[in-house]
Amino acid sequence: MANVRFFKIDGIENGHRIDSRILEERMQKAVSDGHRYIEVKAFGQHGIGGRLWKAGDDKVHVKITGSPGQRVGAMGFPNTFIEVQGPVSDDVGWLNVGAEIVVLGNAANGAGHAMAQGKIYIAGNIGARGMNMTKYNPKFEHPQLWVLGSVGDYFAEFMAGGIAVICGHKPQDPENVLGYRPCVGMVGGRIFFRGPHKGYSQVDAKLVPISDDDWAWLEANLRIFLEKIERPDLFDTLSKRDDWQLIVARSPQERFLRPRKSMSEFRRLVWDKELGKGGLIGDLVDFDRSPIPVTTTGILRRYVPVWENRKYAPPCQAACPTGIPVHERWQLIREGRIDKAIDLALAYTPFPATVCGYLCPNLCMESCTRQYKGMASVDVSVLGKASIKAKVKDMPPISGKKVAVIGGGPAGISAAWQLRRKGHDVVVYDMEKELGGKITQVIPKSRIPEEVVRAELERLKKNLPHIHLQQKLTKEDLERMKSDYDFIVIATGAQKPRTLPVPGKERLIPALEFLKRSRKNDIKVGKKVVIIGAGNVGCDVAVEAHRLGAEEILLLDIQEPASFGKERKAAEAIGAKFRWPVFTKAITEEGVELTTGELIPADTVVVSIGDQPDLDFLPDTIAIERGFISVNDIYQTTDPQIFAIGDVVKLGLITEAIGAGRIVAEAIDEISKGKRPRFDKPHMIDRQRVKVEYFDPRKSAFESPEECAEECASCGTCRDCGICVTVCPQGAISRQAKDNGDFEMVVDPEKCIGCGFCVGACPCGIWNLVENDPLEDLIAHD
Amino acid sequence: MSTNGTITPSSLSIKDLPWQIMWDKERCAFCGRCTAACPVHAIELGVFRKRIIQPALGKDTQPGNVYQVYYGIRQKTDPAYACIGCGTCTLVCPNDCIVPVRSDEIDKLRFHINRGGQPRRRGGRRNVPEGILDRIKFVRISMLTDPALDAGRHEFELRTLLGRILPPEENLKHLKEHGWIPPVREIYPLIIGSMSFGALSPNMWEGLQMGVAYLNEELGMPVRMCSGEGGIPPRLLRSRFIKYTIIQIASGYFGWDEIVRAIPEMKEDPCAIEIKYGQGAKPGDGGLLMWYKVNKLIAAIRGVPPGVSLPSPPTHQTLYSIEEAVAKMIQSLYMAWGFRVPVYPKISGTTTALAVLNNLVRNSYAAGLAIDGEDGGTGAAYNVSMDHMGHPIASNIRECYLNLVGLGKQNEIPLFAGGGIGKRGNLAANAAALIMLGASGVQIGKYIMQAAAGCVGSESDRCNICNIGQCPKGITSQDPRLYRRLDPEKVAERVVDVFLAFDTELKKIVAPLGRSTSLPIGMSDAIGIDDYHAAERLKIRYVV
Repeated sequence: MANVRFFKIDGIENGHRIDSRILEERMQKAVSDGHRYIEVKAFGQHGIGGRLWKAGDDKVHVKITGSPGQRVGAMGFPNTFIEVQGPVSDDVGWLNVGAEIVVLGNAANGAGHAMAQGKIYIAGNIGARGMNMTKYNPKFEHPQLWVLGSVGDYFAEFMAGGIAVICGHKPQDPENVLGYRPCVGMVGGRIFFRGPHKGYSQVDAKLVPISDDDWAWLEANLRIFLEKIERPDLFDTLSKRDDWQLIVARSPQERFLRPRKSMSEFRRLVWDKELGKGGLIGDLVDFDRSPIPVTTTGILRRYVPVWENRKYAPPCQAACPTGIPVHERWQLIREGRIDKAIDLALAYTPFPATVCGYLCPNLCMESCTRQYKGMASVDVSVLGKASIKAKVKDMPPISGKKVAVIGGGPAGISAAWQLRRKGHDVVVYDMEKELGGKITQVIPKSRIPEEVVRAELERLKKNLPHIHLQQKLTKEDLERMKSDYDFIVIATGAQKPRTLPVPGKERLIPALEFLKRSRKNDIKVGKKVVIIGAGNVGCDVAVEAHRLGAEEILLLDIQEPASFGKERKAAEAIGAKFRWPVFTKAITEEGVELTTGELIPADTVVVSIGDQPDLDFLPDTIAIERGFISVNDIYQTTDPQIFAIGDVVKLGLITEAIGAGRIVAEAIDEISKGKRPRFDKPHMIDRQRVKVEYFDPRKSAFESPEECAEECASCGTCRDCGICVTVCPQGAISRQAKDNGDFEMVVDPEKCIGCGFCVGACPCGIWNLVENDPLEDLIAHD
Repeated sequence: MSTNGTITPSSLSIKDLPWQIMWDKERCAFCGRCTAACPVHAIELGVFRKRIIQPALGKDTQPGNVYQVYYGIRQKTDPAYACIGCGTCTLVCPNDCIVPVRSDEIDKLRFHINRGGQPRRRGGRRNVPEGILDRIKFVRISMLTDPALDAGRHEFELRTLLGRILPPEENLKHLKEHGWIPPVREIYPLIIGSMSFGALSPNMWEGLQMGVAYLNEELGMPVRMCSGEGGIPPRLLRSRFIKYTIIQIASGYFGWDEIVRAIPEMKEDPCAIEIKYGQGAKPGDGGLLMWYKVNKLIAAIRGVPPGVSLPSPPTHQTLYSIEEAVAKMIQSLYMAWGFRVPVYPKISGTTTALAVLNNLVRNSYAAGLAIDGEDGGTGAAYNVSMDHMGHPIASNIRECYLNLVGLGKQNEIPLFAGGGIGKRGNLAANAAALIMLGASGVQIGKYIMQAAAGCVGSESDRCNICNIGQCPKGITSQDPRLYRRLDPEKVAERVVDVFLAFDTELKKIVAPLGRSTSLPIGMSDAIGIDDYHAAERLKIRYVV
C-alpha cells in the first residue's frame, strides 16, 4: 500500500470549502478517469465514497482525511473500500449496499443506518441509533457493523438483519455497552456484545447462548476487525468466549408471547398474598366464588321446577258452588273406575243427577279451560245424568252432635247429608208433605224427569233416618230446639213472594204459587200471559204457561233481564218475548198498564220479582238484614248455635244452596271437634298453565263419559301422561310410586338445569318454575 | 301468541316488542339451555298444534283432519317478560338456532312499560349511538414541523396530575407560610370511574381492582379506579392496593363508618377522595338499593343490616350552598387523611358547572373537578332521567377549561371528563379529544364493563337490566349464581389488555403531535370538526 499513489481531492479550494456536489462530481470523474486510489481531504462534505459503480468490478480505495460530513459511504458499492483516518459524523454507511468502511475513530449517530450489505468497522464508540433499520437480503451476505467500544442510545431500532458486534473496549459508559433502550422494534439479525448492559426490548429480542459455530465466526472475524482498525494487540483480551453474549430478534411467533406475568400467578403471589386467602372479600364470605358455567344444575340453578299437583283447583271445581272435583271424576273414568267416579259425587252433593244432570246451569262448564280457549267444554251433564246410579258407601255410625235442620230443600238436605256423612245425628224438619223444597215444589217437571228426583230422594231417605215433614215451627219451638240440639241449621228458603205495590196487585199471581200449582196441573192460564220479572223463574213460568196453553207470552223487566242458561233458552224456544225497561203502573182487568200509559193486554199476569224468607219464627237474637238472615262466612248467625243457609240468607242457585250446606256441615263438624272452623278453598289455577293444544279443537259433542274423560285437560291435577319425563332434556324427571298407591314426579336436582321445559309441556299445568332459594341460605343449610 | 280473543290496551304481539326471537325449528336440539339461561324468562317451551287437512276426492277415500302437536321455543308477549335482546340464548345455543333480532320499527312496548303507573326504570345508557366526540379529528399531524415521534419506538410519559397545582413561586410561598402544599398525584389519564361494590358484583369489582393492581405493580402504569359509593371491602382498605383507589363519598355515606375506622390501620393513603354531587346518567336522580338486593355481603361492606333498603338521595342532605358544599366537604375529607390526600368534587354535566368551578378556584384545597356528561351510564335510573337529562361533556369541559384559561389557572385545577367516552369503541380517540379540549384525564365506566367483562349493553337499548340484578354476564348482579359466571382473573386480564391497547392508541394519536413527555391538555389547535357550529362552540378548527 505504501507504494500506491493516491489521487487527491481536496475539500478546500482557494481557502473555500467546496460544495458537496462539486466534490461528488470530482470523485466520480476521478473514478471515470481510471483512478482506483483516491484520497479525500474532507471538509464536512456529504456522502463521501458512496456510489462509485463506475469502477465496475475494480476495487476502489478511498482514504478520507480531515473532517468528513454526514453519510460517509452512503449507498456504497461492493467495489468500494473506505478508510477514514479519524472520526465520522452521522449515518456512516447509510444505505450501504456493499462497501467496506473502516473508521479509525468514533462514529456519531446513525452508524450503519439502513445498510443492507457491506461492513463497517469502527475503532471507537458510536452515537445514538446505530444499526437502525438494517436489512438482510438473502441474495447477499448479512451487513456487519463492528464497534470497538460501546454504542449509544436506541441502538438497533427496527433492525431487520445484519450482524452487529460491540466489543465493549473502553466503553463510553462502563456500566452499559448497549446504551439506553436498544433493540426496540428489532425483527432480525444478531448482536454480539461484550460487557454489561442495562436492558433491551424484551418484547422484540432475546438473549441466546453463543453456539460453537457462532463463536468460530466471531473469533475469525474479530481478528479481521482488529487488523482493519490496526489493533491486533487486543485480540487476546477480546477473544475470551465467556465475555461475550448474543442478542437475536424474536421470531414473529415468539413476539406474541408477551413476557407478562400471568394473572393467576399475580393473583396468587401478589393479590392474595397482600389481601389474604380468598382475596378481596375472603374474610366476608365463606362460599366458593370460582367460575361456573351458564348452564348449571343443583343448587346453582337460578330456577327450579316444582310439581304442584293438586295445589290449585281446576276452573270447573273452583266455579262449582258445590265444589265438586269434576276433574277427579274424569281421572277415575280414565283409570277405568267409572263406578267410583259416579259415587264420588255423593261426597259433595246429595243430588248429583238432579242438579248436575238437569237443573244446574253447570257453572263448571262455563268455567272450563277449553271453553276459554275456544273449544267445547267437557260435558259434565253426561256424568251428572249417570250419577243416578251413585251408591252410598260406608255411612259412619251416628256418634256425634245432635243437629236440627229446619227446611228440607236443597240447602237443608245438603247440610243434613254432609252432617250425616260425618256421623252427626241430624233431624230434618219441613212443613211440606215431601222433601226437596223447590226441586219438588216449584221447578217445572219439564226441566227434569220425575223418576230422577224420586230416585235421589229415595237414596236420601234411606240414609237420613230422622225426617219430620209437615212441621210448621214457631218461635217457641225454636227456643225449645235450642236446648234439645247442639246446633240448628235454618234452611227454610224464601217462601213469601214479593209483589208490586200497584193498584190491582191482587190480580197478580205470584210465580211461586203459579209454579207449585202448575206442577199439579192445578191452574189455568189465558191466551195472553204477561210475566213481570224476566229472571230464570220468570222463564220457568213462561214455559209452564205455554205448556198450559198460553199463546202469547211476554216477560217484562225494569232492566235487562238477568235470566240465562237453560231456562232462558227454553223460554225463547217457546216463543216468549222479552221487553225492558218498562215500569208497571197498575194491573187492570185488561192487563198491565205501564207508567207510560201504554196498556199491555193480558189474561193472566204473573209476578216473578223474587221471593222473601218468612222469618217470623226466628228469635230476636238472630240479626236480620233487609229481610234475610245475616251470617258470617261459615253461615253462622248472630246466635252461634244457629246457622242459616240457602235462600233464607241470599237468593241463589240450587248448587249454591248445596255448597252452603256442605260448608256449614264442615264448620259444625270442626266446631264440635273443638277446632276453629276454617275454609281454605284452593285457588283456581291460572288457565294459561294448561295446554289445550293437545286436544282436538273440532270436537264439539261428547258421546260418553269415557270420551269426556279423554278430552279433559285435568287442570292442576296430574294426568300421569309422562310427557314431562319425556320432554326433560336432561332426563331429570322420574315417576315415583308412593306407598299409598299414589305417585309423584320427582326431579333430580343434579341433572336438572331449570329450563322449564316440563312447565311448558305439561298439559295439566302442574309444573311451575320458581326462583331457587338464595344460595347463601342453601349453603347455610348444608 | 293468541290472546283468546279478548285484548286489552296493553295486549302486545311479538311484533310490538323491541326484540324478536328468531328460532329455527329445524336446527333446535331442545336442550333447554336457552330457556334456562334467559335472564328475564322471555322464552319458554311452547306446545303448538298443527292441523293437516287431508283432502280426498276419490270414491273410496274420505277427506280428513290430522292434528299434530309439536314443541318449539315460544317468545312471551307479556311486557313483564319482554325479550331484552341480550342474546344469552344465542350464547348458550349449541346449534346456533336462536337469536334475538331488533325490531324494524319503534317498539310498542315503550308505550306500555309503565303499568301500575310506574314509569320505566332501567340500567345502562342513553342509547344514542351518535356523539360529537367521534366527530372530532386530530388534524395537526407533525411530520417535519415538530419532531415527529413514533408511538412504537419513542418513550412516552402519559401521565396526568390530580391535585391542586400551585405555580412554583406560590408553592414555595405556601410552603413557607403554611408549612403545607396541596398533595398532587401523578396518575394515568384513563381512570376507571365510580362503580360501587353493590352496583357491580363482587367478582367484577375484584377483577377491576386486581387488573388495576397488576397495571401498577407489574407494568408500572399508575392507573387509578374510583370506588363508587357502596363501601370498600375491609381487606382492601387495609392493603397497599388502596393507594390505587379513589374513594368516593356520596349522599348515601354507605360504608363510610368502616372507612373512617380503617384510616388508622391504612398502610397507604388512597389516591384521592371524590365527592359525588351528581351523575351524568341521571342528574338530579338518586338511587335506591332495594332491600332484597342487600344480601349479607353487601350489608357487611356497606355497614348496614341485611334486608333493608338503602337510599342514596339525589342531593347531599346538609349542604345548602355551593360555598358551603365546597368548603365543608372538602375540608372534612382533607382532614381525615391529615391533608395528604387530594379531594375533589364530581358533578354531572350542567350549565352550572362554571359556577362550581369558580368556587373551586377560590378554594385553595380543591384538587380538581370531575364532570360526568349525559352519556354516562348507571346501574338504575328512570328512563326519562337517563334519556333526557344532562349536558353533553364536550362543550361543558371546554367551557370550564377556557374559563380557567381566562383566569390563567388552566394548569392549576385539573378537570376530569366522563360520560360516553368510547361508547362506540373509540376509547383513545374520544379520550384524546377531551384531553385536547381541556380535560386532564377521563373516567370510563361502561366501556370497561363492555371490554373487560363482556357487558352486552349497546347504544340500542339492548339488555339494560343492570337494575334488576339479573345481569346475564354477572357484572351487576349480587347473585352468586350469576356473578360466578365472571372470573375475576379474566376480568383483570382484560383490564390490562384494555389499558395497554389504549396506551398504544393514545400514543398513536399524540406521537404525530410531537408530544411525548406531557399530555396535550387543552391542545385544541390539534383538533377539528366538520360541523361549523360545533367548531364555533368548542372553539376549535372547522375542517371540511
